[in-house]
Amino acid sequence: MNDIAPSRYKWVGTRPVRPDGVPKVTGRALYGADLAMAGALYGKVIRSPHAHARIRSIDASKALALPGVKAVVTSADFPDHKFEYVGPERVAQNFWHIARNVMAREKALYEGHPVAAVAAAGKSVAEEAAALLEIDYEVLPHVIDVDEAMAPDAPLLFEDMITRGVEPTPTKPSNISKRLEFVIGDLDKGFAEADLIVEKEFKTAPVHQAYIEPHATVARVEADGQAEIWTTTQGHFGVRAMTARLCGMPIGNVRVTPSEIGGGFGGKIPVYLEPIAAALSKKAGRPVKIVMSRDEVFKASGPTSGASMWVKIGAKKDGTITAADGVFKFQAGAFPGSPVMNGCLCAFAPYNIANARTVGYDVVSNRPKASAYRAPGSPISAFAVESVLDIVAKKIGMDPLKLRHKNAARPGTTMIYGPKMAHGGYVETLEALLNHPAYNAPLGKNQGRGVASGYWFNGGGESSATVQVNEDGTVVVSTGSVDVGGSRASMAMMAAESLGVDYNQVRSIVADTVAVGFTNPTGGSRVTFATGMAVVEASKKIIDELRKRAAMIWDVDVDGVLWEDGQARPASSNVGDFPPLSLKEIAAKKALTGGPLTAAASVNAGGQAPGFSTQFCDVEVDPETGKVTILRYVAAQDVGKAIHPSYVEGQIQGGVAQGIGWALNEEYIYDKSGRLDNAGFLDYRVPVAPDIPMIDAVLVEVPNPAHPYGAKGVGEVNIVPPMAAIANAIANAIDRRLTELPMSPPRVRAALDDGAGD
Amino acid sequence: MAETTARVVLSGGFSRRYTGGVREFQIEAKSLRGVIKELDRLYPGLGEHLEGETTVAIDGEIHEVGYLQPLRQGSEVFFIPKLEGG
Repeated sequence: MNDIAPSRYKWVGTRPVRPDGVPKVTGRALYGADLAMAGALYGKVIRSPHAHARIRSIDASKALALPGVKAVVTSADFPDHKFEYVGPERVAQNFWHIARNVMAREKALYEGHPVAAVAAAGKSVAEEAAALLEIDYEVLPHVIDVDEAMAPDAPLLFEDMITRGVEPTPTKPSNISKRLEFVIGDLDKGFAEADLIVEKEFKTAPVHQAYIEPHATVARVEADGQAEIWTTTQGHFGVRAMTARLCGMPIGNVRVTPSEIGGGFGGKIPVYLEPIAAALSKKAGRPVKIVMSRDEVFKASGPTSGASMWVKIGAKKDGTITAADGVFKFQAGAFPGSPVMNGCLCAFAPYNIANARTVGYDVVSNRPKASAYRAPGSPISAFAVESVLDIVAKKIGMDPLKLRHKNAARPGTTMIYGPKMAHGGYVETLEALLNHPAYNAPLGKNQGRGVASGYWFNGGGESSATVQVNEDGTVVVSTGSVDVGGSRASMAMMAAESLGVDYNQVRSIVADTVAVGFTNPTGGSRVTFATGMAVVEASKKIIDELRKRAAMIWDVDVDGVLWEDGQARPASSNVGDFPPLSLKEIAAKKALTGGPLTAAASVNAGGQAPGFSTQFCDVEVDPETGKVTILRYVAAQDVGKAIHPSYVEGQIQGGVAQGIGWALNEEYIYDKSGRLDNAGFLDYRVPVAPDIPMIDAVLVEVPNPAHPYGAKGVGEVNIVPPMAAIANAIANAIDRRLTELPMSPPRVRAALDDGAGD
Repeated sequence: MAETTARVVLSGGFSRRYTGGVREFQIEAKSLRGVIKELDRLYPGLGEHLEGETTVAIDGEIHEVGYLQPLRQGSEVFFIPKLEGG
């Protein structure tokens, strides 16, 4: 399908100015909290102060009697749902759980869990009303840590939860929602063939997506049941579907407009505030605006799972991996649904291992429900696998990149879940780093170099786009994809390339749920691939229409008209001697030739190629304080064909920066009562500019033949390797193996005092 | 589109619920629609599960489950549980 040769690309692969740049740098871009609506009420969510408590009763009478209070909602104002896992979206969902996460019913399952909400004339009135709500809790024992939650005597979040995926079905309830197992080959035989076996246990901390913009929404429900929602989200069609279902409304009654988004990273796919604001608005008869504080963002949204893991790898002296085994226990938070399956499928995916098994456990505990975070699940299992591989390389005296190269998955390699890998790209990332001039640069005292690799599926799925040609020849491209990582630019570039017009002639926008066809959320690194396909398809339809119009103007058969370099030309001299007609010239005659020039296209895109990333970093460890300084970071990634290389480099740098935070500092700190102690950016330390060197993003281009321009998803796989790469670098710097994240100064100091090397 | 024989595998453990643990099938079909239809004929209810709760890999490439995906002679079709994305 690469029907346009690379040498002919005029826009794809260039770096034009981004269409969202000026509003963002001038502070005029409108984010979720910026929408002001006349008559809007102030909405406030009342949250559980307890990690685990039964809700005996809620009495709102005093709050409702307060002047200025217009509505109070509790779970009684939302319909309940059957307990079942349902599709057909990309992730199976259970609305019994989702409804209870949005508003607690029988129990509050984490500190910050919504139990009621108030709409009032202003902030102070809402806060006073919140204090007047009488909520009777029976405080219950809680559990946070995943290993403790799996213990037989752990406090149960759901007294009737029976582990799925275990034969025979257990008779006793537990906090283990699900067990998964994937296996290929013969593990015993594989380990028997090994000259060397390394096994180790690891733990990772749950980390928040840490988007700068908090969740914010405005909802207006009219007396006739028509609802409009303005919100910050990665997927407004998902918000529409979830809000409609949770509030008992038909989807057709709900219109959702996404705001500019200040980061999501997976954490803005679920709904939190939208159904609550809609329920309050319905009751109050006025628009309701709710904005989360940073404290609420930390306590009640995101994060990704923390995990406890064990990995065992066997290899021959020549570096051939003969067998690999792993157990991955992921915190799901208060409701089932951690990304443990992804962790299991991605763990050994970069490698050709004939005998391998991964076992996963999805475990609930009294923390906010885990939501997706950039390649969800893969970075967690990679931390364990890539650390063990580093030890294997060291023990057999082999360069760690060469060990990976020797075992690299290639097209035809059998994946742990059965299929053979269809696309390459991994080997090329390894070779890019083996040939990188800094890979063999000398290191100083207390300095070390570490490498690691990562895999991510990338996504396809449903996307829609509309292309309109205006009467002056300018073009509008509308899609249903929220622009998180530069998609307005890449969509405009692909349209310009396909139509043969100037990029600056194309305006690219994100349309609301009634203005464009259904589109899956911006997630899974799917937009450039899938929505890009929809844009190209719509552009092709426009070209067909432009050829018809030109044929009409020349009075010839449409087969006699070619579209080339943005112009209609006669296909041969037999057609006639006509000067080319530009898009602008045809557009000027649109009324004469049939009316508006508009085309829509929708796709369910498949054939996405996975992403691979290999990275190395140099660190220096301060032996007195335990502080780790990143001296150099080089990240090679298979990006397919980079549509806008600057954005691709930005994605790689962003993913690595978040990985550095995950590796070195980020963690949730709970007190003994299960309350979060560090719910703010002062104490939850994300990396800041002085913590990070300029990240050298190496673009490895292995085009995907299933996409018209060879695009692959690029947004996620870059966050997979950093934790292991940094752990491996620290091990080489100080001869101590750190197996628990974050590798913060106190942990590094403790390892220097009492830890062991490889 | 000609009928072709595809190797179809149910990956991830859900086969126990529908097929008594049989995981692998040889199915004559022109497209994924034919595979789903035949599996549902053999194991009533399996078709709905495949449509609603799985992703499919055809010859190693991952697709959302859709009726139109064509198959070639000897295609390998793996139904796997839905993936999560962020």
